[in-house]
Amino acid sequence: MVTSSARIVSLVLQIATIASLVLVWQWAALSHPAPYLPPLEAIARGYWRLVQGDLLFVAVLPSLYRLLVGFLAAVVLGVIAGLAIGYLRALDPWVRPILEYLRFIPAVAILPAALLLLGPTDAMRIFVIAFGSIFPVLLAAIDGARRVDPTLLDVARVNGLSTVQQIVRVVMPAALPSIFAGIRIALGLALIMMVISELIAADDGIGFYILRSQRLFQTAGVYAGVLVIGTIGWALTAGLLAFEKRVLAWHRGWRGLTVASGNA
Amino acid sequence: MEAAVSEPVLFVDDISKRYAGGALPVLEGVSFKQKPGEFLAIVGPSGCGKTTMLRCCASLMQPDSGSVFHQGETFRDPPSWLSIVFQDYNRSLFPWLSVRRNVAFGLRDMVASERERRVGEALRAVNLEHAADLYPWQLSGGMQQRCALARSIVVEPKLLMLDEPFASVDAQTRIDLQDMVMDICRKMSLSTLLVTHDIDEAVFMADKVVVLSTRPARVVEEITIDLPHPRDQLTTKESPEFLRLRHHVFTSVRRQAQKNAS
Repeated sequence: MVTSSARIVSLVLQIATIASLVLVWQWAALSHPAPYLPPLEAIARGYWRLVQGDLLFVAVLPSLYRLLVGFLAAVVLGVIAGLAIGYLRALDPWVRPILEYLRFIPAVAILPAALLLLGPTDAMRIFVIAFGSIFPVLLAAIDGARRVDPTLLDVARVNGLSTVQQIVRVVMPAALPSIFAGIRIALGLALIMMVISELIAADDGIGFYILRSQRLFQTAGVYAGVLVIGTIGWALTAGLLAFEKRVLAWHRGWRGLTVASGNA
Repeated sequence: MEAAVSEPVLFVDDISKRYAGGALPVLEGVSFKQKPGEFLAIVGPSGCGKTTMLRCCASLMQPDSGSVFHQGETFRDPPSWLSIVFQDYNRSLFPWLSVRRNVAFGLRDMVASERERRVGEALRAVNLEHAADLYPWQLSGGMQQRCALARSIVVEPKLLMLDEPFASVDAQTRIDLQDMVMDICRKMSLSTLLVTHDIDEAVFMADKVVVLSTRPARVVEEITIDLPHPRDQLTTKESPEFLRLRHHVFTSVRRQAQKNAS
């Protein structure tokens, strides 16, 4: 049990660490001015512009839009395809050779092809984000579907459920813990692909803003952009975890009891 | 004309089943009939293929030869009026659903009020009303099995199959569950098929006991249990008639087990 005084101490230490880093930076920036060491107000100003100011609509929102569309497409397609492939053994010989090859292509390598096929458009960027983040979800869904307890499927059959009903009402909930693990990984990958697609070919977005700041030697803008990306990543992950916690509350209880009491 | 009046609710006709491409015969020519409303118990030595047989009887699995007729028809999937209670209750209940929703799982094409009414009745029959909003992992073993039982009866089946349903609960709970199952089956006029390794249980609960041989299983003997209803855990089990039947079944099973050992 963590006592409240221990928690306060921990909190104080965390604040102290951050505060001292900030102070060291500020001291260094002011006493040894250098292009790569802008003072904190400049970074803060850049950060504020992105999060609240004029750049919100030019940089942050376009990026977020592409990220969410690509990521959600990856999740939806990955789950549907993964559950079907995992449950319907008949699909295996058709799908496996393709999957087992495609999954090892780093999404970054897809960029030039995507650029050729789709041009420097939002469609290209969304496609790249989706391609880069679909595999963890797909593989997790396949694995989760394959591991469904056959007794549960027997119960579904006895109750007269069709194949589709079985997948939706039994396989999917049973595979959800596995799927969420895949989604967590996919989010990180989606973020990476979002930035890369904007560094390569974009005319708006945070990645583009960072690149432009770099080319104009506006170092504060570069750092601010990086901090904003970190903030977005942190916020989305926190949101995902909170959502997962609610949806999978049953799983924690079930696992907790199963593991704790040593039952199979 | 006999017609539907005496049509057996279950007719297992000379079924055989082999695993491992024929190398492992599990069932070899099993045949028996079950009359509507009859409580049939199937016993046999351990590992003789009782669960395989139940799966074939339920049309969850097709036998390699022979047929299983449910009210005169064969099925590729369990008929809608057949329900099963499996042995492993902690694997057969859906962990993401509450007790109430587990029980309601098989109810479809129904208005919400009707569904609630039926679920409430089923929960009352198994004494789980107070636990309706709990999750399976929050229940004891006996409560979980009662939940599985409620789920099976809420669809108002004609034939209820139970696969060693009390094997994983303690002796006290087993007694309570036996009484509960018998009570429910009588009140709902169910045909019941109980697969069990417990001979006392088979004789106590059933109208007829089918004894299986060792693997590959076939029917060795069918013993009619004409003990009076309602049966009591104490008085019935002390009656000379019960003891005689128990002795009969026990010897039959033991003979099979010894054949296996030799």
